[in-house]
Amino acid sequence: MSSYKWRDNPEIIARLVNAGNIQSFSTQEVLLKPNEACAMIIDGRIGDILTETLLKNMAGGFSRWVGDKLGVTANDRRLLFAMTGPMDYWIKFDGQTAGGDSVKGFANLRLKMEIENIPKLLNYFANNAPIMTRETVVNVLSNELNARVIVPCLASCQNSAELRGANFIERFEMTAESEMRNILSNLGFTLLKAFPITSPTDMESMEKHRRAMEAKLATDQINTDAELAEIAQSELVTIARIEMEANIAKATARGEVTAQLEYELKDLRAQEEQWNAELRFEKGKMDLRMEEADAKSRRAMEMFAEVQERKQQRLQNERDFMQQRMDSQNEIQTKIMEMAAETGNLTPEVVQEFLKQQTAQKAADTGAKQDMSIPRTCTCGMNLAAEWKACPNCGAPIS
Amino acid sequence: MVGTPVDIMPYVRGVQLILTGYNGYTKGSRIETDKLVREEIVRAINRVRNHMKNIFDIKFKENNMDIARVAKQCMEECDYFTEDVKKAVGGMEHAFLSGQSSPSNRELKKLIQHDHDSITMIIEAVNLSNSAEFSMNTEEDKTKMIISQTTQKITSCRGFFNARANVLAGLKQKRKKK
Repeated sequence: MSSYKWRDNPEIIARLVNAGNIQSFSTQEVLLKPNEACAMIIDGRIGDILTETLLKNMAGGFSRWVGDKLGVTANDRRLLFAMTGPMDYWIKFDGQTAGGDSVKGFANLRLKMEIENIPKLLNYFANNAPIMTRETVVNVLSNELNARVIVPCLASCQNSAELRGANFIERFEMTAESEMRNILSNLGFTLLKAFPITSPTDMESMEKHRRAMEAKLATDQINTDAELAEIAQSELVTIARIEMEANIAKATARGEVTAQLEYELKDLRAQEEQWNAELRFEKGKMDLRMEEADAKSRRAMEMFAEVQERKQQRLQNERDFMQQRMDSQNEIQTKIMEMAAETGNLTPEVVQEFLKQQTAQKAADTGAKQDMSIPRTCTCGMNLAAEWKACPNCGAPIS
Repeated sequence: MVGTPVDIMPYVRGVQLILTGYNGYTKGSRIETDKLVREEIVRAINRVRNHMKNIFDIKFKENNMDIARVAKQCMEECDYFTEDVKKAVGGMEHAFLSGQSSPSNRELKKLIQHDHDSITMIIEAVNLSNSAEFSMNTEEDKTKMIISQTTQKITSCRGFFNARANVLAGLKQKRKKK
């Protein structure tokens, strides 16, 4: 017993096998996996549809050969193998939007085949080769898909931007689901999913190029800005460095000037101190002189006051002496008069004579002293003594 | 009917009302029974899908995209469910040589009950889809709601059916005696 492989290429979707053509000494068996199915067409009638099983004695073998020869088996036995699992089919299209943009791309159809629909493939195999591949399916479907789905959907788009929207994809799928049902049902397929993949249109390419150029220009601009910023930064750094160096130089120069000025200031302060010392010395000398002058003045004033006092005392003594002499003379004269009166010599002539002599005596005593007793005053207000030749206060001569 | 205890007979009878030939995984026909259940589920899903397809076609041509969209979504959910069922694990093959244990009555009961519940649930979805198509001509404002309920039922059924793998997983290995 040998294993028969109905699918030796992944592009094969279905195959119609005439079991009578399989002539082999050993019986053939085929293993049907869960995504494979086999419909038996015996003498033109559709028989069982098998899956997930090992189909033994499907063809070949001595016993079947003998049966054929004896005419006890079916005259025509055909096996229709098919893949039932979902498979993707890519259909190329070339259309145009309502706005005139040319659109190229692929429509993806995801199809599966129900087990009970496998005999419908006979519709296809009736007019085509007994092997169905993806390419043949695409050829069968492409015209109808273009006419019923792609062209109407593209015509509903004004521009290429609408092709990228979710609405377009949803409408595409729904249109495919609705419009492709007839042909898919005839072939036994069930549509699971449909979606378009469109290549960039001319306008989009142009837009893309424009964006790329804008991006390039923006990049160049950014680079230029960066370079300018770098240059500006460098310029700022250079200026800052120059300013800093200038400031350092200034600071250094200022430091030197300051040092020199401080040195000069120090000299000046020394000079000032010297001058202050001299000034203080001179001031001290002057003060001493003034004190000396003041002391002299005070001494002179004191001496003057002392002289005045002594003068006053002397005048007082003179006046007292004069008074005592006058008193003694008066007393003597009185005694003389009394003696004259006692003796009887007191005549008017005597009295008169007496008065004359007394007057002359008084005149002689007081006359010389008359001018000396009159106090005199200087223009500065200083009291002057009679014997002074000049004012001791202002130095004015006394006439 | 070996291996089908009396208490699960109601479930077997219930499935048999729908599936002629269902015998509750008796020995010698367990693979066929499993395929039978799965094919019935796929058939029911296709019924749902066909109803939704009709709704979609009509509503899409009427440019009623709201309902067409939900109907398409339901169709897609049906496709997913179909693939799940077709590619689901079968289990229970070559029990003698592959190390797989023979299912106990308890496990068979669980499996049969699960089949019954799955088929019941998908039939409810079929009824809902039928109501949805019917409501298009009577109560159009309810159509969208019923389609959504159908989708929800299909999704629930899908999840429930996937739990079948857990039921079958208990049959894969022989229990080691401690």
